[in-house]
Amino acid sequence: MRKLRQFVAIALLTAAVLSVVLPLPNQNSGHLLTAAEAQGSTLTIYSGRSEDLVGPAIEQFEADTGIAVEVRYGSTSNLALTILEEGANTEADVFFAQDAGALGLLAKDGALAPLPSYILDSVEPRFRSADGLWVGITGRARVITYNTEALAEADLPASLLDFTDPAWQGRVGFAPTNASFLSHLTALRVAEGDDAARAFVQGLLDNGARQYENNSAAVAAVAAGEIDAALVNHYYMYRVLAETPGASLASYYFPGDDIGNLVNVAGAAIVTSSDAKPLAQQFIAYLLSRTAQTYFVEETYEYPLLLGMDADPRLKPLAEIETPDVDLSDLDDLEATLDLLDEVLNS
Amino acid sequence: MTESPAVECCDLRKSFGGVRAVNAVSFALARGQFMALLGPSGCGKTTVLRLIAGLERPDAGQVRINGEVMSDGAAIVPPNRRRVGMVFQSYALFPHMTVAQNVGYGLPGGDGRARRVAEMLALVGLRGLDERHPAELSGGQQQRVALARALAPQPDILLLDEPFSNLDVALRSQVREDVQRILKQAGVSAILVTHDQDEAMSMADCMGVMFDGAIVQTGAPRALYDDPATRRVAEFLGEANALPGEARGDVAATALGDLALRRPARGAVDVLIRAEQIALAGPGQGVPAAVTRVMYYGTHQHVWAALDDGATVIKARCAPDAPWRAGERVALRVSGPVAAFPAGESAPP
Amino acid sequence: MTQTSWVDTRTVLLLVSLPLTGLLLLPTAYLVARAGGVGLAEAVDYLARSGTLRIMGRSVLLVAATVGASVLIGVPAAWLTTRTDLRGRRWWTILLTVPLVIPSYVGAFALVGALGPRGMLQGALEPLGVERLPSIYGFWGAWLAVTLFSYPYVFLSARAGLRQIDPALEEASATLGRSGLATFRHVTLPQLAPSIVAGALLVALYTLSDFGAVSIMQYNVFTRAIYLRLSLNLDLAALLSLVLVAFTVALLVISARAERRTHPATGRTHGAPRRVALGRWAWAAWAFCAAVVALALVAPLGVMAYWLVNGVQQGETLRDVFAPLQRSLRAAAVAAGASGLLALPFVFLQVRYPGALSHLVARAAYVGYALPGVVVALSFVFLGANTLSVLNDLLGLSSYRTFALLIAAYVVRFLAQAIGPARAALLQVNPHLEESGLLLGRGRVHVFATVTLPLMRSGVVAGVALVFLTVMKELPVTLLLAPSGYDTLATRIWSASSEAFYARAAAPALVLVALSALSLVYVLEPDD
Repeated sequence: MRKLRQFVAIALLTAAVLSVVLPLPNQNSGHLLTAAEAQGSTLTIYSGRSEDLVGPAIEQFEADTGIAVEVRYGSTSNLALTILEEGANTEADVFFAQDAGALGLLAKDGALAPLPSYILDSVEPRFRSADGLWVGITGRARVITYNTEALAEADLPASLLDFTDPAWQGRVGFAPTNASFLSHLTALRVAEGDDAARAFVQGLLDNGARQYENNSAAVAAVAAGEIDAALVNHYYMYRVLAETPGASLASYYFPGDDIGNLVNVAGAAIVTSSDAKPLAQQFIAYLLSRTAQTYFVEETYEYPLLLGMDADPRLKPLAEIETPDVDLSDLDDLEATLDLLDEVLNS
Repeated sequence: MTESPAVECCDLRKSFGGVRAVNAVSFALARGQFMALLGPSGCGKTTVLRLIAGLERPDAGQVRINGEVMSDGAAIVPPNRRRVGMVFQSYALFPHMTVAQNVGYGLPGGDGRARRVAEMLALVGLRGLDERHPAELSGGQQQRVALARALAPQPDILLLDEPFSNLDVALRSQVREDVQRILKQAGVSAILVTHDQDEAMSMADCMGVMFDGAIVQTGAPRALYDDPATRRVAEFLGEANALPGEARGDVAATALGDLALRRPARGAVDVLIRAEQIALAGPGQGVPAAVTRVMYYGTHQHVWAALDDGATVIKARCAPDAPWRAGERVALRVSGPVAAFPAGESAPP
Repeated sequence: MTQTSWVDTRTVLLLVSLPLTGLLLLPTAYLVARAGGVGLAEAVDYLARSGTLRIMGRSVLLVAATVGASVLIGVPAAWLTTRTDLRGRRWWTILLTVPLVIPSYVGAFALVGALGPRGMLQGALEPLGVERLPSIYGFWGAWLAVTLFSYPYVFLSARAGLRQIDPALEEASATLGRSGLATFRHVTLPQLAPSIVAGALLVALYTLSDFGAVSIMQYNVFTRAIYLRLSLNLDLAALLSLVLVAFTVALLVISARAERRTHPATGRTHGAPRRVALGRWAWAAWAFCAAVVALALVAPLGVMAYWLVNGVQQGETLRDVFAPLQRSLRAAAVAAGASGLLALPFVFLQVRYPGALSHLVARAAYVGYALPGVVVALSFVFLGANTLSVLNDLLGLSSYRTFALLIAAYVVRFLAQAIGPARAALLQVNPHLEESGLLLGRGRVHVFATVTLPLMRSGVVAGVALVFLTVMKELPVTLLLAPSGYDTLATRIWSASSEAFYARAAAPALVLVALSALSLVYVLEPDD
């Protein structure tokens, strides 16, 4: 025992010393400015989308263009906040956000620079900022993912708001504090007013709806049969199906332009203080290129927003989804949504 | 030219959070002398030691060692530049070092170190224990290591803070003799702090008695014992009976009769008679009394006897041979002169 | 006079630690500045809202329940492994400590996988007709997850305490006719109280600052509220964080009171402790330890291993873990070393020169520990991008996100963990030893290096190891402040799990847990 102890102690100490002494594989930060960087030929991206998702696409961009890219991954909201806190000294050239709300927040603060029209025009107007400050890259439809052993499509209601019906007592799950739900609730507020939104959440809770940390957890719960249906984004189901091919899952879209059919976007924008705006434009244009869009379709099952691109054949085509009449740019008033949620969840 | 004293303290003062621990202490210790600072616990004697060592910063006053100013108010020489050795009550041996490493700690590196360590261990009689750790030594051995360690760098003075209080009584007198011998052999000036008057008187060349942060009297042990400056000093230094009396110059009238005084006095006094000054004899050979209690020690015995006035009990220290018993009628006599203090001078608490 | 002036050691220590204290209070200062943006009326209105009050109530409840449960697990476990003849107690000691290294965001997630209504346990029970288990979400889940991954703080500190209690005290009680239980309650427990309080404080602060477990378990406490507010109204989030700081200060005051009420033993420890023969209770002791280990260690590791195997079978490609491993190790090693070093002046001030200022300085370290990581991270973002930008330009740095700034942020977050054990160790070193060294003619630095440091080494090392394993699993500071491209095991886990790539998350998670577990050799004292 004592020998083992000493061995472990020495081995770990050696490992620690080596980790400090040995050079890192691709350590390229805190270094002195190179000539290229001084001319602004390095692009810094703050990505609220995770490295597992967008890493390969960014590597491809670097390989294709020879532009050096540095990426900071983090949660969308923390990175938005970081950009605000860094102010004029931010290192970010591009902000790649998980949802429109965070982009709206930066836009309102004047932190975003206008995008050129050739980028804006490559997506439908409903998926970009009216002021031209951000553009959607991929679409994320709100759907009901349900367990096919417990429910048939015909069992599902005509409107999202019907889930407050006692028939759904204890059978529904949602991720109340997840950004995607917050955006959705904001859309409900914008479309139907605060009282309707409050009544909806209150109704869900009164109905014993289960709360999850995020969409993944909610979909996993559906797959496990913990609940029958969950209010989530459309693509989580396909991820579960990829890992567990036999899972009894299906997704449901509401008929008509029900508020349940909101399609939010993951979008990108250029930061006002960027000194590499041409590169930043090049990068966003790349994200809206066929190559990158194909990658997102295959890897993330999200809707490609580049006009003329088709989604995964298993998905209901974007053109067939009647989205509610809500401007995504109006989804930046998340705070009032949070106040509302606070009030309901904590009462 | 006269040699400057080994240690000289002038008007040292130190307070801790408003409590005066040391108040205007001044004394000098001649080189090669062994001084004992004697006082009850909490009297400030350890603080004096720490001020000399530089471990505390005096509020005011001076410390000089071999004539060099070490502390003068706030400006002080750090302890590591004072050439002062110290033996702590807890010995403060470095538990993670061997005996040899402990003793060699204050020595410069090189060949000389090992030689000096061996020399010191021989001096304290611990040859062969070099590689032991302190935890593997007895209390007496630890004490000697501490002494060897303090003496190894040949300090100008050695400070001993209650060094014997953690030792078994049986061991204590032996260790005291050894320490005295070692110190004389090393020829170092030393100050011993203790609350044990036997220890102080038997070991020291001179002593200072401290009460409440101040030194009340200094001098040779014999002089202090025989001629204490105050009643409190007298009672602290040895067992004594206090009797009220009326002094008339060289004698005082007391319940034990007219007693010869060390110094002339007049008026109401308290007379202090040492227990060993009282002699017991058969009835009729002195002031009559009755034995109330006997404690036998082998080397001597303590006998308490009540005078016939019923109020006064006298404690006597007698040779061990006479078999006194409680209840027995005896006579008391006082031998030698006694000390007298003005009546009402407060007794030690 | 040879040398007149002598720079006061206390002054030197203050000169060293005051700037560091400033750094430690940086997040608080940042919060004050931010919260200043909230009008008084708005602040009062927000704080007095029933929702806000309820969040505070939940936080208090969770802290109390977690601390209580951690004591109920940690103290008996410590007693069983130090004072009884429990079989395999060395292995139990290790197994009961390892949950400390499991990041709460990993552990809680795995717990849901194992114990969720339709988790693996339910799967195993399905043949018995169990359709679903009661919901784990909410208070009970958060309580379970936080307790299981933080009780080792109490366990470790109670163990250390038990090993220092003089067995003679217990023997004295036994000779006075007290039963074993009465002895434990009236003699051992009061002596152990300071150790329990120290451990409980860490558990309480961990609970206050934890985000992973409460968010997975959907229990709406402070940190969650702060995170949600953060992106929307930073000023309000700052205000909430300041309330959290106030809670922390209250906890520190309570723990200091509790510590002061205890009475230090008069004697010194002698002899080896008695070991209680468990006899027919041995099986119960075993069952207790096994249950804790099963929940806190086997369940999460099992779920991760399952994900890994399952993912690999499904053809999931695993990414290289070596580079992030090296980055994790590097950051954790440097931050831990720096914390160990910087803890020393704080500890010395507090122990050797006690006083109001010393205490204030030492307590400052605990504030960073109790704040949510993202708040600490944002304060450094603000500092780096604005205040330090001039300096960065001077140095020709392309980014303020330097390795040094990252380490500074880690130190601010976790210094408290290094201070605790080092302080306990220094308290055990008799100041006379240092004075002896000085009087033997050695300088203060030499005495420190040859006497004090060797004697308090195990405490310093234990603190360094604690910081090491906490930095290994740290997330928000790493995400926001690490130099570009500096992804670590923790960020890999986060990245993969946030997109539900569980197999990809499992590999770095298992590596992280394994490596951090090894660092526990420095935390556990060698038995006999």
